[in-house]
Amino acid sequence: MNAADASHEVYHESYASRIARHFRADSFAQNGLRVVIALFIIAALAPFLANNHAIVRVADGRVTFPIFPSLEAIEWRFLLYVPMAAVVYFMRARFFQRPLLHFFFLVGLIAAIEIILAVTHPVNDPTNDRDRPATFKLMPPVPYSPIESTPDQFAPPSWKHLCGTDSTGRDIAARMLHGARTSLSIGFIAQSIALLVGVTLGGLAGYYRGWLDIGVCRFIEVMDCFPPLLLILVAISLFESQNNMFYIMAVIGLTSWTGLARLVRGEFLRLSSQPFPQAAQALGASDFRVILRHLLPNALGPILVSATFGVASAILIESSLSFLGFGMQAPTPSWGDILSDARRYIDFAWWLAFFPGLAILITIMSYNFVGEGLRDAVDPRLKVK
Amino acid sequence: MTTYLLRRVLLLLPTLFGITLLTFLLIRLSPGNAALMRGGVGESGGHAMTAEVREQTIKLYGLDKPWYVAYGDWVGRCFRLDLGESFDDHRPVSEKIRERLPLTVSLAGSALVLSYLIAIPLGIAAALKRGQVVDRTISFIVFVLYSIPSFAAALLLILLVAGGDYLNLLPMYGADSINAPEMGPWAWLWDRVFHMILPVTCLTYASLASISRYARVSMLDALGQDFVRTARAKGLPERLVIFRHALRNALIPIITIFALELPVLIGGAVIIESIFSLPGMGQLMFQSLDAKDEPVIMGITVLAAIVTLLSYLAADILYVVVDPRITYE
Repeated sequence: MNAADASHEVYHESYASRIARHFRADSFAQNGLRVVIALFIIAALAPFLANNHAIVRVADGRVTFPIFPSLEAIEWRFLLYVPMAAVVYFMRARFFQRPLLHFFFLVGLIAAIEIILAVTHPVNDPTNDRDRPATFKLMPPVPYSPIESTPDQFAPPSWKHLCGTDSTGRDIAARMLHGARTSLSIGFIAQSIALLVGVTLGGLAGYYRGWLDIGVCRFIEVMDCFPPLLLILVAISLFESQNNMFYIMAVIGLTSWTGLARLVRGEFLRLSSQPFPQAAQALGASDFRVILRHLLPNALGPILVSATFGVASAILIESSLSFLGFGMQAPTPSWGDILSDARRYIDFAWWLAFFPGLAILITIMSYNFVGEGLRDAVDPRLKVK
Repeated sequence: MTTYLLRRVLLLLPTLFGITLLTFLLIRLSPGNAALMRGGVGESGGHAMTAEVREQTIKLYGLDKPWYVAYGDWVGRCFRLDLGESFDDHRPVSEKIRERLPLTVSLAGSALVLSYLIAIPLGIAAALKRGQVVDRTISFIVFVLYSIPSFAAALLLILLVAGGDYLNLLPMYGADSINAPEMGPWAWLWDRVFHMILPVTCLTYASLASISRYARVSMLDALGQDFVRTARAKGLPERLVIFRHALRNALIPIITIFALELPVLIGGAVIIESIFSLPGMGQLMFQSLDAKDEPVIMGITVLAAIVTLLSYLAADILYVVVDPRITYE
């Protein structure tokens, strides 16, 4: 290798790898990301972590795996997270060569799985393997199903029920593990919807300017003048009979795109007056190509930052809605739902409020740490540490 | 300045139009209407109201008209400063709102003032001790506070200090004690303040976190400016450099973010009122949403939107007032 090549190696660093390098230098952000990934894996494995069916059961000389028939087909697909996480882990060196591209590929894949997951309901099977005699059995760490009522009502946390039980004797630890799926997927999908709407409208307004821009800006203003939650509450409570996960995701997504649209519009206004998109246009590139290949990649950093904070706020909104009783339908466990139960029995059942509150806190904090780390990495000048 | 203000105020109208139209459409497009809600008809299958009465009710409420006619009627009444009558109890909407407003305003207002009073010193302290233990501690605590959902915090606070198995210092819910009507004015005020401590705390801490983070960045920004270096170079005492030169400039953006905090506080007050069973605007909104009480929902939306729009406007005007370098000419 000659000297010129060597200097090229040293000084060439893409935008994306610079962001990745800065991000990796931030220990808070790194740990935040680890926690988020861990939460997703927990959510993926929830049926194996909390289930009233044994993983392996040996009885009457036969070896059976009762947990598998107890799962709905759809839950199987959600387990794709685990191989996916493994692929990302083992290919991390290659991923970081073009991190942003791969990141978005990954995001798309997760979103697809999430949508499949969104129709999952916990299995309601009255039989359980806890009390069935067997020569040998291996139960999941939390041997209860999230919707299974046990005779122990309001049991405080103990070795039997790690996080206690609620008014109908359902195990809180099991509900928390399964509730992670609700919270994480609603946060993720709602923000993806917001991303799609915000980037499209903001991008078009910033690129074409003129009347389109004025129209989009007015629309953003109208949406922004609803105090947060008010529009969501109106939209959700009025259509209450149709409450399902998709509807809640859509309402949260369709009411939280304005910040992203403002941001993308601003970035596009700034970028499109620079020489490089003009050069691309002069070479005959279509508007579509200029927007997607030249402008959007240059605005990706701030978009990513805003979207990360957006996921945190979507999770918060979902739990507020469940807490107020406008969230998911009854059997589906969600952190906000446990908290809303806690409200009635708050004078003695502290575990009903403490554990879901802690779970929400940890999730939101991790997302916020990742967001802060990304923001500092995207624009190191803003770094205030 | 006058032309600027006039233009801004005129621009509020199309925005208000958009907001009310959107809300109205949502109410009209949703299944069911106020007449059905009253009659208890629906999946529950109750038939408390005969078909004839239901028809009359629908006609009385104007629910038989197409949405654009009904919306036009509503806008026309609004221009005459008449928000209509509640479908639920036939009292004027403005009266219903007037009963509830003081509580919500005092809740959100005291939370806003308190969070400013606590957040600015915290932010400045963190900025002055940048990178030291003080800064890191404040930043971390603020970050944690920022991530705790207010309703979870409210539940744990109730559990710990209000009537749970632990301390029983503060009232658990409600805005007044049962014997409030017989109290003298001072005793009543004290009772009210006593009941408001927990709700205001819960509403305060989240804004406190975001304002103090903002104050820190703004102060750091000011401390890095040339005029601060000049002030130090000419030998001014550090106290003057910080309070007269840096702080005054740092306060400009901090003051104006109240406009962004106010809508957040209004939204937060809805949840807090629901947890502490406070008879404020939030409760009125839940009731009216349940009953599909169209005039009340519209009235609350208009009020919330006007408050938000005016606070944005006030922020822009405040910029000019606190920073003579900015003019809108």
